[in-house]
Amino acid sequence: MTGRARARGRPPRQGSALPAVGDAPLRGRRQPQQPQQPPQPQQLHVPPPQSEEPGGHGRLRGFESVLQERRPEGLQVSSGLQDLSLRDRGGRRRDFHDLGVNTRQAMVHVQESKTGFSGRMIKLTTNHFRLTSRPQWALYQYHVGYSPEMEARRLRSALLFQHEEHIGKTHAFDGSILFLPKKLENKVTELFSRTRNGEDVKITVTLTNELPPTSPTCLQFYNIIFRRLLKMLNLQQIGRNYYNPSDPVSIPNHRLMVWLGFTSSILQYEENIMLCADVSHKVLRGETVLDTMHSLHSQVGEERFRDTCAKELIGLIVLTKYNNRTYRIDDIDWDNNPKGTFRKSDGSEMSFVEYYKKQYNIEISDWMQPVLISQMKRKRGNIQGPVALIPELCSLTGLTDKMRNDFNMMKDLAIHTRLPPEQRQREIGRLLNYIQKDDNVQKELRNWGLSFDYKSVSFTGRVVQGEKIFQSGNMFDYNPQFADWTKEMRGVPLIRAVPVDSWLLIYTRRNYDVANTLLQSLFKVTPSMGIRMNKPNMIEVDDRTEAYLRVLQQRITPDTNIVFCILSSSRKDKYDAIKKYLCTDCPIPSQCVLARTLSKPQTIMTVATKIALQMNCKMGGELWSVEIPLKQVMIVGIDCYHDTVSGKQSIAGFVASLNQTVTRWFSRCVVQSRGQELVDGIKACLQTALRNWSKWNKCLPSRIFVYRDGVGDGQLNTLVNYEVPQFLDCLKSIGTDYSPRLTVIVVKKRVGARFFADIGGGLKNPPPGTVVDTVVTRPEWYDFFIVSQTVKNGCVAPTHYNVIYDTSQLKPDHVQRLTYKLCHMYYNWSGIIRVPAPCQYAHKLAFLVGQSIHREPNLMLSDRLYYL
Amino acid sequence: MDKNFQEEFTQIIKFKPPLYKQRHQFVKDLVEKYKPKKVADLGCADCSLLRMLKFCSCIEVLAGLDICANVMKEKMHTLSPLPLDYLQPSERSLTVTLHHGSVAHKDPCMLGFDLVTCIELIEHLEEPELKKFPEVVFGFMAPSIVVISTPNSEFNPLLPGVMLYRHPDHKFEWNQAQFQSWALETARCYDYSVEFTGVGHPPTGMEKAGFCTQIGVFIRKYPQTGASVQSEKPTEAVYETVFKAVYPSLKDEKYLQNAVIGEVIFTAQIIKHRLMSKHEEYGDDPERKSKFQPSMDCFSDYLGKLVVEKNMEPFVSGNEVYIPLATIFSFPKVNRLCGTFEKLCKLIAGKVTLSSDGSAIMFNIEHENEEN
Repeated sequence: MTGRARARGRPPRQGSALPAVGDAPLRGRRQPQQPQQPPQPQQLHVPPPQSEEPGGHGRLRGFESVLQERRPEGLQVSSGLQDLSLRDRGGRRRDFHDLGVNTRQAMVHVQESKTGFSGRMIKLTTNHFRLTSRPQWALYQYHVGYSPEMEARRLRSALLFQHEEHIGKTHAFDGSILFLPKKLENKVTELFSRTRNGEDVKITVTLTNELPPTSPTCLQFYNIIFRRLLKMLNLQQIGRNYYNPSDPVSIPNHRLMVWLGFTSSILQYEENIMLCADVSHKVLRGETVLDTMHSLHSQVGEERFRDTCAKELIGLIVLTKYNNRTYRIDDIDWDNNPKGTFRKSDGSEMSFVEYYKKQYNIEISDWMQPVLISQMKRKRGNIQGPVALIPELCSLTGLTDKMRNDFNMMKDLAIHTRLPPEQRQREIGRLLNYIQKDDNVQKELRNWGLSFDYKSVSFTGRVVQGEKIFQSGNMFDYNPQFADWTKEMRGVPLIRAVPVDSWLLIYTRRNYDVANTLLQSLFKVTPSMGIRMNKPNMIEVDDRTEAYLRVLQQRITPDTNIVFCILSSSRKDKYDAIKKYLCTDCPIPSQCVLARTLSKPQTIMTVATKIALQMNCKMGGELWSVEIPLKQVMIVGIDCYHDTVSGKQSIAGFVASLNQTVTRWFSRCVVQSRGQELVDGIKACLQTALRNWSKWNKCLPSRIFVYRDGVGDGQLNTLVNYEVPQFLDCLKSIGTDYSPRLTVIVVKKRVGARFFADIGGGLKNPPPGTVVDTVVTRPEWYDFFIVSQTVKNGCVAPTHYNVIYDTSQLKPDHVQRLTYKLCHMYYNWSGIIRVPAPCQYAHKLAFLVGQSIHREPNLMLSDRLYYL
Repeated sequence: MDKNFQEEFTQIIKFKPPLYKQRHQFVKDLVEKYKPKKVADLGCADCSLLRMLKFCSCIEVLAGLDICANVMKEKMHTLSPLPLDYLQPSERSLTVTLHHGSVAHKDPCMLGFDLVTCIELIEHLEEPELKKFPEVVFGFMAPSIVVISTPNSEFNPLLPGVMLYRHPDHKFEWNQAQFQSWALETARCYDYSVEFTGVGHPPTGMEKAGFCTQIGVFIRKYPQTGASVQSEKPTEAVYETVFKAVYPSLKDEKYLQNAVIGEVIFTAQIIKHRLMSKHEEYGDDPERKSKFQPSMDCFSDYLGKLVVEKNMEPFVSGNEVYIPLATIFSFPKVNRLCGTFEKLCKLIAGKVTLSSDGSAIMFNIEHENEEN
């Protein structure tokens, strides 16, 4: 499928080919754009298009560079008919499932088999459903030409479909490419139509391709057909997925609505083409953007109102009252209001009030509200550039960061969104049931010769054995069911306990008691860990940022090991200022804790234990280890964070192991401003990491494993063709005789696949250590899934590992085992986590820098986990 | 007429806004004027007129009929409720239905309409169908108003490229006299009055050609027939329903209840928050004058006025916060939704935790803010 027909994806990046979107807030947030000049009145904005397009047109959040700097010239108008029958919504095509990337073929040692062998077998079910098509199934692709040339796609469709007796009722057409389930009699068919104006048009339909069911085009096509089915089932498209509006869950406490919906993708898996269907929840608000603004106003007052609105609203996606589209709020125009005017396509001026009255019979009641600006990146109909939206007519979707941080809200949401395995599978079954029961859907499927297995795929996975945890001479197992060894490590000395000889404890007057309680508790818990702790230098400060900073400037000495701050509120600016100072200007590990966390007597010992461990890591201590059988190995973890608050920086966290036991790490980050390539910085990081490794070990590593997190959908190609060669380049530059074995593994947490263990007739979450490397993996990749963590409620999400480059010659089983071992090594959690520890460290580092520091921390700290 | 002049002339005839929009606007204006509750569009094609009419707030039932199911299906999903219709259900109820069938057949689903529109329909009818058409529309459906539009063939010479008819599927195109005599005869026969108008003005000097689209507006002269008369018209359903969308409406108990519970709990939460934070940050609020919008802070102003009656004051007792229903009921939004206090109590019964005597909403605050 050339050109435009495609499954909808993220719009391609502009400018720098930034390869990764961090897993953290996937949301491009930005400060309000201050236009250079005030916008000229009577110009500029475009009202949103009419609701002629059936689907909305969501843009993925998290997208930077959406705003073009220039203000648009003049106005454009709406009309926007984008009813391409074939192309799903969206514009250009994007290889969203990384379909064309075949990395396995280059790795000889996994040609035959990429499966591991260790562990016990476990019966698993998944959320994949086999697509059963007719044996000879093929899709016929035609090019359709018009003479004379016809511009309008609608007209092209209309003219072509006058000949349904020739081409059949089942077809998909995007204006130039026609797909048919049957072959036309001739290779070239000429048809004659007449336009309304009586113009005769010759249509030439030429066969260009016969697509086997496994071709990428065909797969994309399946996906489009499937989405058509969801629409036929009366599901509502919001963004990329489809939701059922008729049975919403309402959470009145927070004015939220949750719609249940489905994600779907059809792909070629190991042996079959399968549908992967999962439950998705959409959080919507039962109030308008104007309502939201009102409540913000009453919360923060006039002075901070505009800033708060910008912070809270920009970057969010809105729905409108009058059409089925989604828009991203890119800016708020406070100088405009509904009485403002825009220019219509015919050149006449009209006010928003008038327009909405005339077009949709909607009366705008508040004429003082500002106007929201959404930048249309792609052309929709004949609109491009900014679109004006009236807050009163829009409603927010999704969660804001503030909401995510609201513990009570998330708790209330989780009740509805965290479905336990049985229930999740039941909901997915319901979708399949709808499909099976609906006559129209079945007819459409039959016409294309498609059908599904309505029973999900079952197969066997393996549960690899649990790891033994070593802690200075002691060894213990953990309960595999909980994947946690907090209890087991109690009273056991740490591998390396760094003495706390000289330290500062800073608190406000109000928290004097809390500081003392903390101190007592720390003195109680540290001896058994083997940590020697002296009395701190206790300093009382005013609860102001400057007061904290002044104390830091005056009281830190060259001997200071660590600075401990007890903060009285979760105000971010104070935390940011402290971290910034202590990570850059005055590189010393620091520990900030909220007073509230320390205020409960019943939990203080647990909290103090955690804090002591964390402090120890920050000062270069080591807690525990697992057995790493490989020698001379360096493990690298990379993750990205997109800092959208201060400018448009992206930050890559880079973490590399320093010692044989993989208990010490070298950490750096790359702060990439616009127009720079992230990968160049990563290359430099790798160089310094190697230098440090050789300093610690008196030689260079003979094996390097890179765990690369933060790779977005459709970015695999960039990684394979650009980033990996850069790694190799970097290794070459170390020395001509240096050629270590390199393995690059892409780590992905957001995957649609879910596994359920058949235990005692019911579906349960698979236990930690479950490895899946058959059936639901992709034939063209050397990939596998590991379920490493446990969850208290809901369904556990497997992590997908894709080995895109490997000269290690290791068996797949060993790569899987190593990966699983590394999930045990994250020192902020005495249990197994979702990703290998270096990825989580890299994430932590990138997040801290992106959220608080905004530039590269001092390299003096790079051999410690100061960002934990 | 000078041939050259005519040719030159055809170049410049272009309607602004386009003629189809003018026809739709005409119908919309008619709807604004007569406020019909039930409207049917015969020959609705891609449903574009229906799509426009669904925004007219007087309409509660909207139906479309077309002989071609495919053309209806192509865009019928645009008639579905939008996400926001579910999130903020409207006061009015609205049902949109699409039927597949012919205007030459009677189906009881077309009974009881206030307005029936036939925009650019009749010229597509074959002779036998056209013959049956008046009986079906005026005799059987018998709505208060019928609108029929059709091309005016006298205008055709002014249009570029039109040889015989404006569209290959047209079976005929009438001049003004033909249309008017047909319309008058039909009106007479079924006891309607008819007025003629049109859209697409002829160019100056060519007024005799008439409107590009001629329109007849038929008004029924006899009063609304009772159900008794309609029941005398037993007919079997012959149309196939291809689409039906029931819009969420507050008239529907389910949506009303959801809306009320949502509003009640949300209001109560705000009162609770104010109550709880009063002790802590009293000094924080005083200056809250708004330039943004005067109505902005109506909520807090309103709260201030509320403390008048003692039994309406929310209070804390132990781990529980009580907010009297009377207080909640006095909030404009809740009040508007429920109408009466009894209705409020009925709607929230069993859905919201109340005090033992049922007079106040109760929140337990013991476990709140415990974790962070």
